[in-house]
Amino acid sequence: MTSETGFDPELYKRFPTREERPDSEVEELDRIWEAPRGWAFLTVVNNNYIGVFYIGAAFLFFLLAGVLALLIRTQLALPLNGILSQEIYNQVFTMHGTVMMFLFAVPMMEALGILLLPQMLAARDLPFPRLSAYAFWAYFTGGLFFFASIFFALAPNSGWFMYPPLSSKIYSPGINADLWLLGIGFIEIAAIAGAIELIVGVLKTRAPGMTLARMPIFAWALLVFAGMILIAFPAIILCTLLLELERALNWPFFDAMRGGDPMLWQHLFWFFGHPDVYIIFLPAAGLISMMVAALSRTELVGYHLIVLAILATAFISFGVWSHHMFTTGMPRLSIGFFSAASMAVSIPAGIQLFAWIATFAAGKPRYNTPTLFLIGALITFVIGGLTGVMLALVPFNWQVHDTHFIVAHFHYVLIGGAVFPMFAAFYYWMGMTSRRPLSERLGKWVFWLMFTGMQITFLPMHLTGLMGMPRRVWTYLPHTDWMATNMISTVGAFVLAAGVLLFLIDLARNFRFTVRHDAGNTYGGGTLEWLRAGSYSTRSIPVVRSRQPLWDDPDLRDDVDKGRYFLPFSATGNRETIITSPVRAEPQYLQILPGPSVWPMLSAIFTAGFFLLLTIQAYWPAVFSGVLVLPCLIRWLWDTDRPVASDHADVGGGIRLPTYSTGPGSHSWWAVVSLLVVIFMIWLMTVFSWFFLYGVHTYFWAEMGEPLWLIPILGGYGAAAGLVLLGRHLLARKDSTLWSPPTQFLLAAGALMFAFAADFIGWRSAGIDPEASSQAALVMTFLAQQGQLVAVSVIMALYVAVRNARGLITRPRNVTFDVVALFLLYTAGQGAASAALTRLFPGGF
Amino acid sequence: MGKWGLLLGGLIVWAVDFFALYAIASILPGTSFVARALAIVVTLAALAADAWLIRFAWKAAGSAGDEVDGWIARTGLAGAALSFVSVLWQGFPAILA
Repeated sequence: MTSETGFDPELYKRFPTREERPDSEVEELDRIWEAPRGWAFLTVVNNNYIGVFYIGAAFLFFLLAGVLALLIRTQLALPLNGILSQEIYNQVFTMHGTVMMFLFAVPMMEALGILLLPQMLAARDLPFPRLSAYAFWAYFTGGLFFFASIFFALAPNSGWFMYPPLSSKIYSPGINADLWLLGIGFIEIAAIAGAIELIVGVLKTRAPGMTLARMPIFAWALLVFAGMILIAFPAIILCTLLLELERALNWPFFDAMRGGDPMLWQHLFWFFGHPDVYIIFLPAAGLISMMVAALSRTELVGYHLIVLAILATAFISFGVWSHHMFTTGMPRLSIGFFSAASMAVSIPAGIQLFAWIATFAAGKPRYNTPTLFLIGALITFVIGGLTGVMLALVPFNWQVHDTHFIVAHFHYVLIGGAVFPMFAAFYYWMGMTSRRPLSERLGKWVFWLMFTGMQITFLPMHLTGLMGMPRRVWTYLPHTDWMATNMISTVGAFVLAAGVLLFLIDLARNFRFTVRHDAGNTYGGGTLEWLRAGSYSTRSIPVVRSRQPLWDDPDLRDDVDKGRYFLPFSATGNRETIITSPVRAEPQYLQILPGPSVWPMLSAIFTAGFFLLLTIQAYWPAVFSGVLVLPCLIRWLWDTDRPVASDHADVGGGIRLPTYSTGPGSHSWWAVVSLLVVIFMIWLMTVFSWFFLYGVHTYFWAEMGEPLWLIPILGGYGAAAGLVLLGRHLLARKDSTLWSPPTQFLLAAGALMFAFAADFIGWRSAGIDPEASSQAALVMTFLAQQGQLVAVSVIMALYVAVRNARGLITRPRNVTFDVVALFLLYTAGQGAASAALTRLFPGGF
Repeated sequence: MGKWGLLLGGLIVWAVDFFALYAIASILPGTSFVARALAIVVTLAALAADAWLIRFAWKAAGSAGDEVDGWIARTGLAGAALSFVSVLWQGFPAILA
């Protein structure tokens, strides 16, 4: 067997060990991993608590958005109905879509990942538990504040995709649109934080031996899901930023009179928006794959084809965004390419569907509640998928664009592709977090009510759309023949709601949260989340030798419980988990995990405060809240990356692993690279905006920048990069003085500031006016992005210097030093590229 | 990186092909001969890359040292084949326009 890291796979043969382990080891693990009590419980960071909080919050938003859906259906039940006013109806349907997409669907998938992933991988926790806590609190506080806007009739009212010019200042002068733009932009930051956590979790914290070929499908789905978030979400962060800048500062990105274009919004929004559908679907598909195999009591058919289908869906989903824009007059050839890609994406979806059907056929499924929900999901998703292929056909798409046919289509896709699998997952995995499983008898009622309600609601809605009823209309006239199908849809919505209500009753009767005395493996799953676990996850971390370890090794559960595998104790007296390699999951080092802390929660609350106070134009409180974020973040980070007393530690079986790692082997390095991908994508989308607006309104563009300014700018950024590399080199040299490496970073930060200042002054001296044209506004956007990066770089360099003064920068290598070096280098690169682009195009080449 | 390249190679070819086609259609709007010819050239290049990947992955699957290498090669092979079909399908609008 070949090795990825130099680890000898023969060492796995030492496990399970045979010697008895003392009970004191378990007591110590309990003590170390125990959740705080009383008010301090809010500072808990363990995934088995945060995951449940997260799921609860996401489900709360599902219920709230569901109530809004009932209001919509009640209003549309009869023609000329007056239950809601026009304005409130606009707010209600906007909030329904927004909350379902941004506050329920994506966060729910992340939440399920945070809860299930470490257990499936037999990790003690995710690699950045405090980041999970931050993501949760940011999402929860921001989401509640955002939703509360509807009680003051201030909720967004321009549709969940906020198209300008409707959402521009001239047509939406109130703060409703600002709430959406700042609220959603902020909530996406929480989603990205969670995504980084999941990527590093899947790649670096799998149990030893859990190679890529043995990973649970849900882990594959989460890896792809999180990767897609890093690529797609920057587009929505950028477009919400641009629209907010247009509204607040009159910078004309979407104003065609000054060189902007509303189509830019649509491109950016749907570059996020369409992949977002798959971002929601893929984790749900991962859950389906896991449950189908377990409930059919057989191996999943076509494991490697399903992995391929997940990967292919992710890639192709980035080539279909313009099928939402077929009626906007795009170039004909371009429409043809998007139509072809939209049809091609059905191939990977079909692979998964046939694999699930084949697994059901090959196994012996029992028709219990989760199985029923899975079958319901397959039927519903297939119908939604088929209408999706119809919509990929351009002439048909033209006919039904913006009608209720579209509403029916995407509800079939999202309810079949995410909501039914989620309910199946609730029933299937409830035994992991509750003392009692949910009721099978009530569960079947829940399923049939939800399934029939869903079909009654949305099947006739196709006809409503084909008969020409547009979306987003407040009411309709009696003579349009839309009354019967609308009434049926409304009845169906209440049947669906009755199913959800019954589920809540089941939940109230049977869900009793626990991390120790759970109901267990109710449905006989074969993957590692069904090992007995406490607050520290499993007693020991097993060696994985197959995809269904509990089925293939009947003794595994007892051996793990008796501490016969890796890390049956705390090797350093801290919270720890084993970091493994990305492909073969070979043990690399022991990661020391941070414990409970109030700082992630405070950072999240103040970050939310900054964005949300801005929306109500409370500028000084917003600035105050924003300033408070900084000390909270620094205090949070200060406890991390501490020198470890011992270089190596015994992790069981006589195997000793390092207790510290830097560079590409380190989990922190992967996290920072993931963050830089996000920042790069925001920049890349800005570059796209630059060329797009140049292409559609060339006559507005001029040679505005003076290329000679590039000499000091590129010189400054080049010097910064050189100083960073020198600093890193000096850290590794034994004869460098204590202060020389961080001094290079401080000098590099100074060089970054110099280059940025030269860039800014150059444009000021050219008399640039961002209100005059989209070109000038985009130049200022590039500068604003760069200014943020430089500011963060300066803070980071100072942080490294202070840590160095306190003796916290270890030599010859240090994680904090490495990640700051990466960030500074990236800042220099992006600054140089932005300056060159804006000064050399158009006209400079 | 080599393992990831083998696993994702076909899908990366698809992505490069798609965005190249999008760029061509956006820079040269309409259905001019130049736009269609360029699109066909890009499609043929992507098909060639996929064909090479299929051959490479086939060999890698045959000579895999262990379970992981074999799995990556087989999945990469299927990915390249899927990419071949998708790239071909995506090239049709340029031929038919």
